[in-house]
Amino acid sequence: MKRYNNIFKKMLLLLLLAFSFGCSEDYLEKTEEYNIDSENYFNSEEDYYNALIGVYDILQSTYVNVLLGEIASDNTLSGGESANDVIGFQQVDEMSHTPVNDNLDDVWDWNFAGVQRANYVLEFEDKTDFEGRETIIAEVRFLRAYFTFELLKWFGPIPLKDSRFELGDETSIPRASTEDVYAQIESDLQFAIDNLDYTAPQTGRATKGAAMALLGKAHLYQEEFDDAAEVLTELIDNGPYALADFDTLFEQEGENNEESVFEVQYTGEEGAGFDCLQCSEGNVAVGFQGIRNYSGPVFEPGFSFNVPTQEAYDMFSEDDIRRDLSVLDIEAWSAETGATYAEGYKHTGYFNRKYLPRDNDNVGDANLTQPNNYRSIRYADVLLMAAEALNRGGIDDSQARNYLNEVRERAGLDEAEVSGSNLTEAIYDERRKELVGEGHRFFDLVRTGRAADNIEGFTAGKNELFPIPLEEIEFSQGNWEQNPGY
Amino acid sequence: MNKILVLILFCIGTFSLQAQTFSVSGTVDEADTGLPLPGVNIIVKNTSNGVVTDFDGNYTINEVSAGDVLVFSYVGFLPQEITVDENQTEINATLKTDSEALEEVVVIGYGTQQRKDITGAVSVVSSETIEELNPIKIEQALQGTAAGVNVTPSSGAPGAGINVNIRGIASNSENGPLILIDGYQGDLNTINPNDIESISILKDAQAAIYGIAGANGVVLVTTKSGKKNTAPTIQYDAYVGMQETSRQLPLLNATEYGLLLNESYANNGQDLPYPNVSEVGRGTDFQDEVFETSPIMSHNLTLNGGSEKVTYSFGVSHLDQEGIIGAEKSDFQRSTARFNIGVDISDEFTFTANSIYTSLNRRSINENGLGSVLFNALNIPPTFGRDQEDLDGRLGNEIINPLSQIENTFNDYNLNKFNGSFSLDYTPIEELTFTSRIGYSLSNSKEKDFAPIIDYGPGKVFNNVRSTVNQNRINDNSYTYDLFGTYENTFNETHHLTGTAGMTVIRDWGDGLYATGYDVPNNSWDFADISLTTGTNDGLNNSAYKYDIRKLSFFGRLQYDFQGKYLVSGMLRRDASTRFGPENRVGYFPSATAGWILSEEDFLEDSNVISFLKLRGSFGILGNDEAGGAEFYRSLLDGEATYVLDGNLVNGTALGRIANPGAGWEEAEKTNIGIDLRLFNNRVDIAADIFREDRKDLLVAGIPVSGIFGGGAPGSGAPTINAGTTRNEGFEFAINYKENFGDDIRVGIGYNATFLRNEVTEVNGTEFLPGGQFGVGQPQPARFQEGFPIGYFYGYKTDGIFQTQEEVDAHPSQESLGAEASPGDIRYVDTNGDGVINVDDRTNIGDPIPTATMGLNLNFNYKNFDFTAYTYASLGNDMVRNYERNQPNVNRHAYYLERWTGPGTSNEVPRVTTGATSNVAFSDFYVEDASYARIQNVQLGYSLPETFLEQVGINRLRVYASVQNLYTFTNYKGFDPSASTGEAIGGGIDYGFYPVPRIFLAGLNLNF
Repeated sequence: MKRYNNIFKKMLLLLLLAFSFGCSEDYLEKTEEYNIDSENYFNSEEDYYNALIGVYDILQSTYVNVLLGEIASDNTLSGGESANDVIGFQQVDEMSHTPVNDNLDDVWDWNFAGVQRANYVLEFEDKTDFEGRETIIAEVRFLRAYFTFELLKWFGPIPLKDSRFELGDETSIPRASTEDVYAQIESDLQFAIDNLDYTAPQTGRATKGAAMALLGKAHLYQEEFDDAAEVLTELIDNGPYALADFDTLFEQEGENNEESVFEVQYTGEEGAGFDCLQCSEGNVAVGFQGIRNYSGPVFEPGFSFNVPTQEAYDMFSEDDIRRDLSVLDIEAWSAETGATYAEGYKHTGYFNRKYLPRDNDNVGDANLTQPNNYRSIRYADVLLMAAEALNRGGIDDSQARNYLNEVRERAGLDEAEVSGSNLTEAIYDERRKELVGEGHRFFDLVRTGRAADNIEGFTAGKNELFPIPLEEIEFSQGNWEQNPGY
Repeated sequence: MNKILVLILFCIGTFSLQAQTFSVSGTVDEADTGLPLPGVNIIVKNTSNGVVTDFDGNYTINEVSAGDVLVFSYVGFLPQEITVDENQTEINATLKTDSEALEEVVVIGYGTQQRKDITGAVSVVSSETIEELNPIKIEQALQGTAAGVNVTPSSGAPGAGINVNIRGIASNSENGPLILIDGYQGDLNTINPNDIESISILKDAQAAIYGIAGANGVVLVTTKSGKKNTAPTIQYDAYVGMQETSRQLPLLNATEYGLLLNESYANNGQDLPYPNVSEVGRGTDFQDEVFETSPIMSHNLTLNGGSEKVTYSFGVSHLDQEGIIGAEKSDFQRSTARFNIGVDISDEFTFTANSIYTSLNRRSINENGLGSVLFNALNIPPTFGRDQEDLDGRLGNEIINPLSQIENTFNDYNLNKFNGSFSLDYTPIEELTFTSRIGYSLSNSKEKDFAPIIDYGPGKVFNNVRSTVNQNRINDNSYTYDLFGTYENTFNETHHLTGTAGMTVIRDWGDGLYATGYDVPNNSWDFADISLTTGTNDGLNNSAYKYDIRKLSFFGRLQYDFQGKYLVSGMLRRDASTRFGPENRVGYFPSATAGWILSEEDFLEDSNVISFLKLRGSFGILGNDEAGGAEFYRSLLDGEATYVLDGNLVNGTALGRIANPGAGWEEAEKTNIGIDLRLFNNRVDIAADIFREDRKDLLVAGIPVSGIFGGGAPGSGAPTINAGTTRNEGFEFAINYKENFGDDIRVGIGYNATFLRNEVTEVNGTEFLPGGQFGVGQPQPARFQEGFPIGYFYGYKTDGIFQTQEEVDAHPSQESLGAEASPGDIRYVDTNGDGVINVDDRTNIGDPIPTATMGLNLNFNYKNFDFTAYTYASLGNDMVRNYERNQPNVNRHAYYLERWTGPGTSNEVPRVTTGATSNVAFSDFYVEDASYARIQNVQLGYSLPETFLEQVGINRLRVYASVQNLYTFTNYKGFDPSASTGEAIGGGIDYGFYPVPRIFLAGLNLNF
């Protein structure tokens, strides 16, 4: 028995030892994974590609930037059914918006969702190597720059982080300086330029050209005309882009054509509902600006938001082919085709024809699943930006005029012959006509200091930026300062 | 071979011849009374040779040699050893009662403690109580027997789950207590009640020794083991019985239904559906059709015994219960086999091993939901024939013939489980013991359900155009490894110290696999297996999951008493759990208890009234980690990531709901003050406790956070954050009285009561959490909201019925509830006084948590007869009547006979109409007081006389008859006021609960 005792003592000692080693905190780290989740992803090229799709997905919800951006400008009025129909749109149109505005909140939330999804990939960018990884990372960085630039345009400088924001960051990471935000945008875009080709592996993905155009735009917004001119002229000289036929530019057949530098892709193949507008694969803005109770050829009905003003129609000359392709005169159209419609709130008689819903068999709710792609950056835009940089930077008026005239020519207009500040005015003027209804006007006016003169209700020193949503200010517990005037 | 056998036999033969043996007989009696003691164990020390005294205290033991020591032992008495002299053939023994019945040892977690020394709130349920209650599932034995424990069946269906809550509901998610079987993690659901020796329930900070898992209370189950130096005894227990529904609801018969429908249609200006009501008669009583009387039976066989060094206990059991609805379509079978062996390897080492094998089979019908069998039985009109389907679509999309529904229900669930433990105790010196123990639980289940091609009529949701069979396999495992040491010593005869320190490692892991097969051959259950299906289907036909949760804990406890009068203890546990993120994984849980035994003081020592008096108190911090999980601190990749490339939809991957790496456990702060009092020579035993629990850091889903976290993205959402606090306060009281009148009469009465107040004291970041369902398309009726009880019902307050149009006109408009009111409609209270009835007038209209629960239990023995009665009452629990489909042609509860039909006819039940009314809005009209008192179990037993049994070699034979759920006193209109889904938010909503059956049993207990 004594012998057994010894054996048992030894066994017990062994057990004790085994467990004192085995049961260190390591034990807790060795768990078999609960699932494939956020922290153990990015193990293959496919994982990176799938996550990239996730970042692209958020582009679709930027419809609100376009729609609300246009409403904010002097091109259009809010419209809708009544003064209370989407009150956030109405307030922005009146320039009476406050930090409490659900639609501005959407702009904040959705673009930050894009930033967050991009940062998720970048946080794990070095985890797994494979051929073509730089391309995916470059696209992700392009998209981060895209969303960040949008946030900067709307809300001014924002908090920055190279990885995902985590709970608690809202009270500790301050709003960066404007310079820092631009610096990040520029470095992201430069990386994209260096690692992408002019042609994308799949239609709809970002290209070198898209990154160059966006970089030029970022420089232009900072009035860094030399930098802007350099990257934009290089793009014009070396890129594969050309102006296309304006007749079909905003039709289905005009999607992703030679003029398209970057285009947000939509489809009507998947259903959507009002409980999650950002979940739609369609262009929600299109249904929202459709003709109210429309019945007739070519178009489908919608909610009559974002209606162009008389002035926006009248700014075009008779012989400008863009006029009736950009702004639909519904009375004339109705007389011509026998179409019927209803008048909504702030009815002007005009609709944003570029992005009206076309007859198609998109699935329900058909108002939310219109397949019209948003032409985010067109070659015409690039030409006008290059012209503006060359002119305002005092670099080369003649080249600027050439670019301007390329756009005028396509519109069926005479060549402009002005220079100096007259050329600047001509470029501004052309820019408005060429890009009406596409969401650029408000920000062009703000960056060139002309907003207060043109937009009714615009308060200089305040309305250049939109207010940061009140709840965000509250979440930050004083960490983020509200924009001036709000 | 044969040679060896012969050799062995020869050796045994010579061995037995070596000593001269003889028989010893005698009588054992009780020292106090001089009465003979039956059932006393007599064993020859260090052998397995033993017998038990008969009813007259007589025994005869054979093969005794001179010098042998006879050990006499009996529970509640001090054992006695007598050495046998040469040729001494008669030995009488007198056993003295174990003067301190308080010496009873109670399991308290990582050790035991004498009952008198316990300073926490601990309830004990013994095997005796379990035997008297004869529960089918062990949870039932906790109802009404232990103060502070509330037991609610989720259904009366055989094998259905039963919820146990200790001292109320404190969490918005998991409220079930920690269950430990012989020290390891287990569950009560599968265990055979006959295998249990005792159950300790730790209700206060005493449970803090279990740290992060102890906040919901701890139930410690000790399984049966053999006793040293006892002769082998075999016990056979069996019963058979019949079950019937404890209730049928009064519904309208066909004529009454026809009249009501006519009135309802006429009130909306429609044609009468039954112009000739006189012809419809009584129609079909669908409750009679679905309910049936069905059998139950149980067998249980146990073998116990022990020698000087070895104890053993073996048991097997089988239970077979059919449902009172659908008979074999809702049944339950449980078979178990078990062993427990203890071995003293040496003076220093003791080894214990036990294992339980359980096999369960269960089939079930659709219950407690819209369109469940009983829901349909209540709503289908009595004008329908037994076999008639709703081919005209008169009853909407959910209601179908319940009999066809049962007929077309096919499923089967099977669970096989092994659990048990191995334990080694090492006692190097008397004062010190080390225990190394591993408990395990391995279970595998498989489930199959078959949906045949079926058409119940146009638009029915149960229609199935393609036969499918779903199958799953689930594998759940866990182990609990404990290593701890206990040091116990008394210094200077006054300082008694017990120190315990150790560690525990727990791992829970498992996986599940689900698959679906399409197109079952012959559309038949006989062929319902994926292996035989031939169909294909777009999309994913299978799924799986996997989990692995680990916990690493260290703990220490120090118990000290001075002269056995002043008791203090302190505990500290450190837990690390992988349910939480790496940066927030470790928690410390301290607690302390103290007690003062006043009856040991001089001023009470000689009291004739007070036999024992102790004041005790406890305070501690405990946790609940069950609410946590990796899904809170790590984000799943279930966000929407769909884009269009090359003109086609492509799917990718995106973050789901925002992760909260800081998500932590719920933390409970428990305070308890109690008193234990025994009066009149321990005949009256009283325990009373007041307690308070503040449960903080409840994990609340959907708390809005800054948009920078990307919660606005498709498929993402707000995170789950520790953001809620609740408070439970209450009072518990238990009194037991035992008295013997003469030799033949023994009486015992036990009463316990628990009073509870429950409130959500804080919810940060969101106004409330919704839960539950009412009707179709109506807002969720239950809420978790600051200032209200957990899961209170949120709806309109009513104020009778509008009798006249003038009354309607004088009242604020109710139009926003669905329709402008008419006379005969429910009048809602304008609670906010804004002159209009709308959603803002909704308010607290009840809650499902009882204010008081109590049990009253009686024992009465007269000679060979024994009688027990267990009753239980629950007061102040509300229930939502949700089994009435809001549809024009359904049948109604008979209270509609008292409906409003003109001014002055009714102020309770509104008019009937097929037109739009606001009467269907969720209001207190649908909330009922479901307080009830139930006679849970009545049992009458008779033990056959010893003289008779002796001749057939039986020690004990008792026969009994009992009735379970004999009667329920309640005003509740539904089937069963005791049922609840057990959800913290959304419990107490009745879609037609499967009532607990009334069971008539006849059984026997046989020992030999």
